[in-house]
Amino acid sequence: MATALCRQLVSSVFTRIPIKTLPFRSATCSLQLISRRLKSDKDRPKFDPDVDKPLFPGSRSEFTEKLQFIMPESYDGIPVYRVMNKDGEILNPEEDPKLGQEKIVDIYKKMTLLNTMDRIFYESQRQGRISFYMTNYGEEGIHMGTAAALDANDLVFAQYREAGVLLYRGFTLDDFINQCYGNHLDRGLGRQMPVHYGSEKLNFVTISSPLATQMPQASGAAYAFKRKQNGLCVICFFGEGAASEGDAHVAMNFAATLDAPVIFFCRNNGYAISTPTHEQYRGDGIAGRGPGYGMATMRVDGNDFFAVYNATRAAREMAIKESRPVLLEAMTYRIGHHSTSDDSSVYRSADEVNYWDKKDHPIGRLRKYMLRQEGWWDQTREEAWMKETRKSVMQALERAEKRKKPKVDTMFTDVYKDIEPHIQRQMNQLNEHLKKYGEHYPLKNFVDK
Amino acid sequence: MVHMRMVVVIFGEDVAFGGVFRCTINLADKYGKDRVFNTPLAEQGIIGFGIGVAVGGATAIAEIQFGDYIFPAFDQIVNEAAKYRYRSGNLFNCGKLTIRAPVGAVGHGAHYHSQSPEAYFAHTAGVKVVIPRSPIQAKGLLLSCIRDDNPCIFFEPKVLYRSAVEQVPVKDYMIPIGKAEILQEGSDVTLVGWGTQVHVLREVATMAQQKLNVSCELIDLRSILPWDVDTVCKSVVKTGRLLVSHEAPITGGFAAEIAAAVQNECFLNLEAPIERVCGYDTPFPHVHEPFYIPDKWKCFEAVKKIINY
Repeated sequence: MATALCRQLVSSVFTRIPIKTLPFRSATCSLQLISRRLKSDKDRPKFDPDVDKPLFPGSRSEFTEKLQFIMPESYDGIPVYRVMNKDGEILNPEEDPKLGQEKIVDIYKKMTLLNTMDRIFYESQRQGRISFYMTNYGEEGIHMGTAAALDANDLVFAQYREAGVLLYRGFTLDDFINQCYGNHLDRGLGRQMPVHYGSEKLNFVTISSPLATQMPQASGAAYAFKRKQNGLCVICFFGEGAASEGDAHVAMNFAATLDAPVIFFCRNNGYAISTPTHEQYRGDGIAGRGPGYGMATMRVDGNDFFAVYNATRAAREMAIKESRPVLLEAMTYRIGHHSTSDDSSVYRSADEVNYWDKKDHPIGRLRKYMLRQEGWWDQTREEAWMKETRKSVMQALERAEKRKKPKVDTMFTDVYKDIEPHIQRQMNQLNEHLKKYGEHYPLKNFVDK
Repeated sequence: MVHMRMVVVIFGEDVAFGGVFRCTINLADKYGKDRVFNTPLAEQGIIGFGIGVAVGGATAIAEIQFGDYIFPAFDQIVNEAAKYRYRSGNLFNCGKLTIRAPVGAVGHGAHYHSQSPEAYFAHTAGVKVVIPRSPIQAKGLLLSCIRDDNPCIFFEPKVLYRSAVEQVPVKDYMIPIGKAEILQEGSDVTLVGWGTQVHVLREVATMAQQKLNVSCELIDLRSILPWDVDTVCKSVVKTGRLLVSHEAPITGGFAAEIAAAVQNECFLNLEAPIERVCGYDTPFPHVHEPFYIPDKWKCFEAVKKIINY
């Protein structure tokens, strides 16, 4: 009886997952929960005082005379969708998106290029060449899986560990390193710290440091897209730590109530700097919150490129066709430190990091998949490619290093669309000051007027 | 005027039925529920969402129900909206966002229905802050804010929703942001205020003329950011005396910025110290409101002080 009722809970809340695959234990759950996606007054059960059912505007479910709580401990948690195992073996051939050799090899090359770029740029910070850097180690599957599944015109709002999405879309090594150096070719005009990338051409909104602020913005942009009927969606990346922010809550609630075609994509990588997930949340991760907002939800293996790809494609289709937000939680592991300002060895074991690096890595798993296909990839090509990536990245670094920074006057532009009189006066003040004291300022590193 | 651009949307708490101050009445019927709609109750969401709508290409008018409740949105306004264009190297911007909020004393509003938060935003480079004194001004200034390619905050003195009645022209017109207006020319004292306080100062000017034979030049600042320092200084050069008055608490209030800038520009022209007549450094009180507000008697007394300095 209890189990049947729990299955009813499950079937009403999760519409796409076959019930037989869900390992829900019944325990204390004999409470029937029906949640309907109420878009308007018409979607509610009829207001009929003759029937003995709750009539409250807030809920028209069922009455129960049994005093009991829904205990979160009695649920196993939303399962993790995967396509291939750790050895790159497809488990159910029907789930293989069959992208073909050319596409898969290209994806693999982009993942490894990103990895090489991360290694060299991280090192360049250690050498004092750039001021700061954040690596993407372990999350390359998420980047490529989502980017490959989206349309190039879908708008991306990101957090800071999604450089692979930009790379996939065409951001060049020069683009990355120019921003890190903040030189005059940085499209961001040297205004922000490294890794705060952005590209209007590639539909990737410029990164900002405050966490989760991009989330309600993604909901709003998706609403605007819906009104435009442009057949596109918005995707919003965020970490499991950022998901604790109030902005995450409002973003999901707004997107759900306003029927915004946005994919909320959580990178649950186990740590928010030093804070592990068991100190970040007590419930069933971020996916567990989705149904609470009335959102279609899926949890995926973030280290499985195919799973991420399939899930994102399905999410995109649903978001656009049905004009509704979708929550994807990709489980992964942050192999690198949080940033160049962090040394994660003080809060986690080398063994733990090593496991993910060696045994369950998105690049490794895709490589194993490729090696299972006749003639797709081999050690010779691997070595040649690795050599090529190192050379390209080093050359980009060396080019960027020599470039000057943007003109000093650009410090005063873009505060408003046009320069306001009071800001113009301040620019003039600085220029007057530099005429007298210029020798004390690093003017030679900046483009002249 | 909203209909002229099909991509304008207006949203916030209770906006759909017309709004708690009836500002959006009949708009949902006229323009559709997808353009005039309620949001859930979350100011940080309203503004974050509004920024996104603007980035997504539509013109967004985000309503905050009371200026007293704008603070949950402070991060989105200061760290996001204000910096959107600058931080992206002008690749992105949220210029199509306008935020509206009722502010100011209403007689019984107390701590959370009376605040004037303009000073917090005056300090935020990248947004514009505008406060109208009347219906005719409100229309022209609001249209300027909506059409301005920068995120604008439009504070509406709520006591004026009912008490201010004017024949507002039906045609389209705009009043420039960043320009103060001299309502009355004078030679002895410059009076600067905005919103409701302009009307208080107008009475003070009359009292000063009648009781002290003092001629006041009355200026409505209209824009807090950017503010028209040139018009104010030109007036002070003429009169030599300045009084700035606002409901918001005196310490760190916007009168402090005006006073600092004017004494720097017009030091030798000043015949007396600059007077600020403002709210006290307390939360806005309930039963003590009549004693709290910078009324015409306090302003009149300040005029006397600087005339006799």
